[in-house]
Amino acid sequence: MSTIRLRGGQVYDPTNGIDGELRDIGIRDGRIVELHPQEKVDHDYDLAGCVVMAGGIDLHTHIGGGKVNLARMLLPEDHRARRERDNLLELASGGCCTPGTLQTGYRYAEMGYTAAFEPAMLAANARQAHMEMGDTPILDHGAYVMLGNEEVFLEMLARGEDFERIRDYVGWSINASKAMGVKVVNPGGISAFKFNQRKLDVDENHVHWQVTPRRVVHTLARALRELGVPHPLHIHASNLGVAGNIESTLATIDALEGLPGHLTHIQFHAYGTEGPKKFSSATRQLIEKLKAAPNVSIDVGQIIFGQTVTASGDTMRQLANADLGSPRKYVGGDIECDAGCGVVPFRYREQSYVNALQWAIGLEIFLRMDDPWRVVLTTDHPNGGPFTSYPHLIKLLMDKSFRDEQLARLHPDVAAMADLREIGRELSLYDIAIMTRAGPAKLLGLTDRGQLGVGAAADIAVYREQADREAMFATPEYVFKDGTLVARRGRLEAVPTGGTHFVEPDYDPAIEKTLERHYREHMSIDWRHARISKDELCSCSNHGSLLPCKLHGGGRT
Amino acid sequence: MNTTTLAPAPDPSSAAAPLAACAPWTCPFCSLLCDGFGLQDGDPPQLLGSDCPRATKALAAFARPAAPVTPSIDGAPATLEATLDAAAARLAGARQPLFGGLATDVAGMRQLYRLANACGAILDHAHGDALMHALRPLQDRGQMFTTLAEIRTRADLVVCFGTDASNYPEFFRRCAPTANSELQRRTVFVSTVPPAQAIEGSSVETVTGQGDLFDTAATLAALVEQRRVSRPAPELAELADALRAARYAVLVWEPAQLPAHGALIGETLLRLVMSLNRSTRAGMFALGGLDGAQTANAAMTWLSGLPLRSRVGPRGLEHQPLQYATGRLLAGDEVDLLLWVASFGPNLPPPPTGVPRIVLGHPTQAPHCAEKGTIFIPVATPGVNASGHLLRADGVVALPLHAIRDDGLPGVADVARALDARLALVAEDAR
Ligand code: SF4
Ligand SMILES: [Zn+2]
Ligand SMILES: [Zn+2]
Repeated sequence: MSTIRLRGGQVYDPTNGIDGELRDIGIRDGRIVELHPQEKVDHDYDLAGCVVMAGGIDLHTHIGGGKVNLARMLLPEDHRARRERDNLLELASGGCCTPGTLQTGYRYAEMGYTAAFEPAMLAANARQAHMEMGDTPILDHGAYVMLGNEEVFLEMLARGEDFERIRDYVGWSINASKAMGVKVVNPGGISAFKFNQRKLDVDENHVHWQVTPRRVVHTLARALRELGVPHPLHIHASNLGVAGNIESTLATIDALEGLPGHLTHIQFHAYGTEGPKKFSSATRQLIEKLKAAPNVSIDVGQIIFGQTVTASGDTMRQLANADLGSPRKYVGGDIECDAGCGVVPFRYREQSYVNALQWAIGLEIFLRMDDPWRVVLTTDHPNGGPFTSYPHLIKLLMDKSFRDEQLARLHPDVAAMADLREIGRELSLYDIAIMTRAGPAKLLGLTDRGQLGVGAAADIAVYREQADREAMFATPEYVFKDGTLVARRGRLEAVPTGGTHFVEPDYDPAIEKTLERHYREHMSIDWRHARISKDELCSCSNHGSLLPCKLHGGGRT
Repeated sequence: MNTTTLAPAPDPSSAAAPLAACAPWTCPFCSLLCDGFGLQDGDPPQLLGSDCPRATKALAAFARPAAPVTPSIDGAPATLEATLDAAAARLAGARQPLFGGLATDVAGMRQLYRLANACGAILDHAHGDALMHALRPLQDRGQMFTTLAEIRTRADLVVCFGTDASNYPEFFRRCAPTANSELQRRTVFVSTVPPAQAIEGSSVETVTGQGDLFDTAATLAALVEQRRVSRPAPELAELADALRAARYAVLVWEPAQLPAHGALIGETLLRLVMSLNRSTRAGMFALGGLDGAQTANAAMTWLSGLPLRSRVGPRGLEHQPLQYATGRLLAGDEVDLLLWVASFGPNLPPPPTGVPRIVLGHPTQAPHCAEKGTIFIPVATPGVNASGHLLRADGVVALPLHAIRDDGLPGVADVARALDARLALVAEDAR
């Protein structure tokens, strides 16, 4: 039994409607509790002058799995900058845009984050993804399994299989891979690329299966809703990065027909074709649509200038961009009748018109969206930039003059023309607390995380109030994970193993007959190995706790 | 796990075949990780459903020994505790240890990495040279890969470049098209002799190279890219046309079969495949990663950010793909202790060397480890008498390995963990 009192901090806890009140927070055995003001505690922290929030939750960050590891191998140069290991708690691990898992856990935790979700777990690679996440210390984690490009799914759609059977398949896949949700990437497009199709619009047919992305998106979104999976379908829409792709993005929202959907790295999907360069911001159209579509949430995928690497399942788009790589290298792969992967190193440059506009578009989306509960702060690590740039991004959002200074350094056409100049809004600490913890927790169905109410897990970040928001968010005063002090002023204090979040939707096991045949005829492993048991998950994820998540409405009955 | 027999996949032709409740057996003896065959415990255990010579030979080493093999210090039998104490003392005293062999599973690598941090080791695999033939083109240019199920479903042209795949005996069966598939597959062997047996679901052809492997690769790449080539061998020109016409061509290569400049050949083949992908689809499949090399390199990379042939120094990691080769380090007296890990069988005995050795090895390695200066700890084998996880050759699929029996041997992870705990005590005392 260990008790802690956090005394007199300024608390931002949007889940419970608390907006900067001075409060005490009590912790006992890893949970937030009500402590009597006179009660003696083991540790008492005076938080005068500090801001208190729940631990940060990153719902879209590429932290584990085959393509991330290939990106690490592709970029040994990202690991040249070495630093003295002054802390015996840390094992050697390096990298900025392709950090090792140990480095990822250490740096996220030092920044006040306590959970991170890998958005693109391939079913064929699920074990490795769980292993890498299990080797990401301190953070709790979970992953969305990539569906919508597997031959078995497309074949079921093509032959007009009953929706219920497809729903069973989705339920089975989530259970088998121990996922927290489902991501669809370039719906149907990764598969189409294996048949040498190079482009696929929302209402265009897959050359082989004669199925449209619209059907793929709608079917998956409906399946998740009926299965009671809390996180809406996580959608990487068609035509990533293509000028004019706003049409696909709007059509994808329409394809949902009101079903819940989360459009990820939306910045890469908000481009028009206006202006002399035929590349323009479509933020206004997008925001107008989002205002009328309360079923849709987004994360931004803000770009940050400098070197990074883009790693995606979207082989169709990644190969198309391979020639733009810097340094000029490319990893691509077609994977197990299931998915694919493409890795392109990239340097975002302030003097590039396209990159400068991408930067402005991301910020415009954050600032123009009226409902912060539907916007999550991400850089799509590492695709838009490494997660370590979050404090910088927060400063851009909270500080108009800083933003204007940055804007002035960009390609002159963007600096002079971008809508961003006219946006005066500065996000509040309350907004930031929503976009980085309360909002993502709600979108994931994590009822006891992302908030500071009695009974919640004691994942807590304490920041010293500073005018320079970048400095403030880069180095919290204290970070607690399940009530354990894990970091103090940028130095690790403890390195616990994080837990795995996953959901277990119910499904009719009759579907396993179909899948067993598919495995025998097309796949390369024994069907019985397609499923990860809980015991096996435990050993993959390094024996962290298993955190099964409640289904909405108790799931299907 | 107490099951003595792990069942093969039920025979699909018998409608009544029930789904066996127990897990299928995963073969750890090459990086294809076949999990469609069974294993019957016995002396030695018997492979069911395949006559793979590699697995059969490997299993022969798992006949139960007449007397249990014990740990030893300088050839003298000792208790496990005493051996661990002695090994920890030698590790603590080493200035620059090398962790070599690394024939282990994910759990083994996780613990060995911790141990490497405690003593500032360099890590390299027994197949480090072959690994670097594949890794260096990846570091310099990238990769364009495909996996077994994709080959099975899609490949209409398979080109085996300088390899007959005989080190991976089930390879062609594992990627054979399904019986009712409409694929008209051609398998073409370049600069090598095809296997004697027919290849399921495919025609077989042979193309003689033009010069050595490097020249042949360069010529074929030039022909595919339709650059001018003076007097190309007609067979190669025909192959280049076939590659361009194929819907999904797969180029199979085996880094371990390549000469010293193998990385350059790998790079040339990659260029060829990247060129094909400008107009059609193609991928590469590297036959490599034997004896846990794929796994060790992947785990090292995800933990640290850098692949094998790296040093975990006090000032962070340092990666030297050529300099940190086991042979070179031992020959140049650059290391003063070798910790050698070889848990899959009798092959990969520790290299003879003047520096002290700590060997975590298969029990049959005991005779190679009886000399002065050598500490030997027999360890369990994932997939026979331990469970575990390995990564397949394609680097995508990880599979669980199941124990069929318990011989009371510690796993590599157990030993590394115990050594790490002892080193932590030494460090504590020093403070
Ligand atoms: S091919 Fe390799 S994995 Fe398959 S049975 Fe033979 S040795 Fe084992
Ligand atoms: Zn994506
Ligand atoms: Zn992403």
